[in-house]
This record gives sequence, structure tokens and C-alpha cells, in this order.
Amino acid sequence: MKTNHHFAFFDEGSKKEIRRAILKAVAIPGYQVPFSSREMPIARGWGTGGLQITLSIIGCEDVLKVIDQGSDESVNAVSIKKLVQTTTGVEVTDLTQEATIIQSRHRIPEVPLDSNQILVLQVPAPEPLRDVEAREYMTKILHSEEEYSGAWLQLFEQIMKFGRTTTGADHPVYVNHRYVMAPSPIPRFDNPKMHQSEALILLGAGREKKIYAVPPFTDVRSLAFDDYPFKVESFSGKQCRLCGTSDVFLDEVLAADTGEVSYQCNDTSYCMERLNQAEKAEVENNYA
Amino acid sequence: MGIDQIHHTQHVFRKILDSMAKPGTISTITVNEESKKRQLSCYDTTLLAALTLLDAEVTFHILPADQIELKEKISQYTLAQHAPIEEADFIIAVKGCAERELVDAMLVCKNGSLIDPNGSATWIIEEEHLSNQGGLTLSGPGIRSEAELHISFTLAMTAARQEKIKEYPTGIDLLFTDEVGQLACLPRTTTVIHAEEVK
Repeated sequence: MKTNHHFAFFDEGSKKEIRRAILKAVAIPGYQVPFSSREMPIARGWGTGGLQITLSIIGCEDVLKVIDQGSDESVNAVSIKKLVQTTTGVEVTDLTQEATIIQSRHRIPEVPLDSNQILVLQVPAPEPLRDVEAREYMTKILHSEEEYSGAWLQLFEQIMKFGRTTTGADHPVYVNHRYVMAPSPIPRFDNPKMHQSEALILLGAGREKKIYAVPPFTDVRSLAFDDYPFKVESFSGKQCRLCGTSDVFLDEVLAADTGEVSYQCNDTSYCMERLNQAEKAEVENNYA
Repeated sequence: MGIDQIHHTQHVFRKILDSMAKPGTISTITVNEESKKRQLSCYDTTLLAALTLLDAEVTFHILPADQIELKEKISQYTLAQHAPIEEADFIIAVKGCAERELVDAMLVCKNGSLIDPNGSATWIIEEEHLSNQGGLTLSGPGIRSEAELHISFTLAMTAARQEKIKEYPTGIDLLFTDEVGQLACLPRTTTVIHAEEVK
């Protein structure tokens, strides 16, 4: 497809700088590499970091999937997808297994990723120590000295106050036994998917001007104590009201009129694929 | 130049990224037929890697030191400035670089600091032929269990690399290129066991 824009929106100089930062990030797993984040046609804090990575790595042969909080069809996902497609002409897909680049906000897809795929995560707050230290230079020193008492203390205080760690999302992780990293606001449910992932994971924070990465087959451990082990969200006894699955991350849906609570797959393409498969099987069985 | 500065460099970058993310993985890049007319004293793979990564914001150094013409050409093609070994962001060691010269340069090149480990030099080293048979045994991030990479890295070179990466996260990242368009990487996180050490 011929486009009327420069390929992938960026000038080549910008791509080069971001590409160099990505390579350093891959070489130092979990370390936040600073980069000169560009002005994008979407507001900072709306996925500009992920978008800049996607635009810098994407080529004509790629197949792109963009999800926002598990959905392929939310406004943010659609806008980013349109921007990338308009400026590159690449094919887009909803199917996780078909994509070569998956840009995501706040979720890692349910379908396991393979070694030919790259997951790009949008990050609003890349610094896991920001709540304990406001000064950037000081957090850089803390990282350099592997001084993570603050991160541990935060979890300890949660246990003291509430009897358990209360991180809803963005539960800090230890990468390659060296850096404590914010995994982006993915639910705790997705943290284990980063550990020894087959796919390369790139994380971009546009507003905070940081790029970091988790290479494939890298140890990623969620911070936890021996007597308070890390636990993912539990959906035991609950299942998706549409496709009936129960071993995925579910959204709680509250009916405003009746107050009735039901659950639904958060990963919409996974749910849709299961529904389509069920329908196909039904047609084959009933009408063959 | 016969190189598509947009799509070709993107293609090369993805191959470098793939090899950097999976140390020991040999990627093959498309080498343009026209490039043979350029008659540079480096492999086309090396030139393509330089065109992909270098620009006016970074500096480079070429080994051996007598490669004056190549120095000028790379500077002209990429707008990057040539700099002393101690300051260069990229160090390109073309074929024929003596072991002593490479080891000495490796020991003095930029290594980054604990606060900014990204401020280290990236090496582009030319190899006769890259293969996955024998040579070095690799392990670490990006490798499922172990990988093999055959390069003509001597024990002294491995020792020099080890000296640079001993205080992780500081360290250097190496990119190897060969004549037939292949490239492989050794980031600082990779543990290398030399075949001769095992004997």
C-alpha cells in the first residue's frame, strides 16, 4: 500500500535514536534508558512511548495488533492502529497469533506469545521507586546501588495495614536478578507471563522519556516475601458470561438497572475467537 | 548508494534487535548487489549496521587505525564524527584488526557508569564466517538454556570482554558481522565459556 506520509510517521533521525535506546534496553534488562521522547499526534500519557517504539521498529512486512486494556476496539487502540496503518500501510489484525508486533496498554494477551513476536507495552509511570523518592537523580543512584529497600517497604506497609499486598496493577518485578522494574499497569495476573517469556517485551514511557525491555527467556520475579507469597487475582468459581472460559483475566460487569454482577473475558479477541470456534463446531455438528 | 535508507535500515535494525534479544542467534540481512561497487574496506553487513545505527548524534572509532579512507566514508555516509577510542559510542573493528589492538582498545573504551550503564561503547566486529557450531558456549537472558556461537574470538579477547562486563550493569555490547550478510550479538548479560577453557 502506498501512503502519503513519510513511512512510519517519524523522520529517520528520530527512529535511529529510539532504535539505539531499544538496543541498550535489551542489553540491560529492566534498566530504564532515557530517550528524547518526541511530540506525537496523541497526548502524552496516552501511549506515546509505546507508539514511538512501534513506529521505530515496524516494517512493511509486519502485522500489527493494538489493544487497550484487553480490547481491540476501544477508542485509544483504534486511534493508534489507524495512525500506524495510515503511515505505514501495514496489515492489522485482532488475532494475537497472527501479529508480529502487539502494542498493548495494561494487558498481556491471553494467547501465549512466540519468539517471532514483539510485545510493546505503554507505560505511564516507569519508575518503581517514584513513590519513595521524587528526585530522578536519586532514583538513578538507588538503581545503581541496587538499593530497593523503598520498594520492599512499600509492600511491607501494605501487609501491615491490610494483611496482604494491595497492588492492583503494576506490581513491581525483579528483572534478571538485578533491576526492580515497573511492569506497566498490567494486572498481577499478567506478571508471571513476563517470566521466561518467549517474546521480546519492550516498554515505552513517552511522557517520562524512558524505554526499557525484557528480552526473551529472562527471569522476571514479582516482589514478594517468603511468608506473604505473590498471588495473582483469583477468579475461582467465576466464568465468562459469553464464552464460558474460567482460566483467564475476567472483568466484573455490573448491570446498572438490576445490580446483577457478571463476568466477561477482558481479552476481547480471545473471547471472540472462542465464540467463533464454538459456533463453527456447532454448525459442523448440527448441519453436517 | 543503492540502499533504501528507510526500509533497508529498518530491516537491518530488526535483525540486529532479534540477535541482540537472543544472543547467539545468527540473523541474515539482505545485502544489496550494488553495494559491491562501493569498494569499501569493510563488509557490506558492517556498512549496513553502521548506516542503521550511526548519525550525527553519536561518534565512532575504526580499528585498525590505518583505515583512513573507511573512516572518511563512514563519516560522510552517516554524518557521525570519528572520535578517540576512549570517547567513541561505536567501535568498528574491521577484518585484519590485530588481537593486541582489539584487546587494548576494548580495555580502554567507554564502559558506562553504574548510574548510566547505557553510556558504554557498542562494538561492531568483523568475522570471517559466523556459525552456530562450537566455539563459544553462551548462556544468560535471551537464551533458553545454552547456545553456541563460533567466532574467532581468542582467549585474550574473551578475557578483555570479561574485564569490561565484570561490574554489571556496566559493560560493552558486541555485534559481529560477516561477509555473507550474517550478524550475531553478545550483549553484556551473556555469559561466555570459551571452548579452550573447557579443555
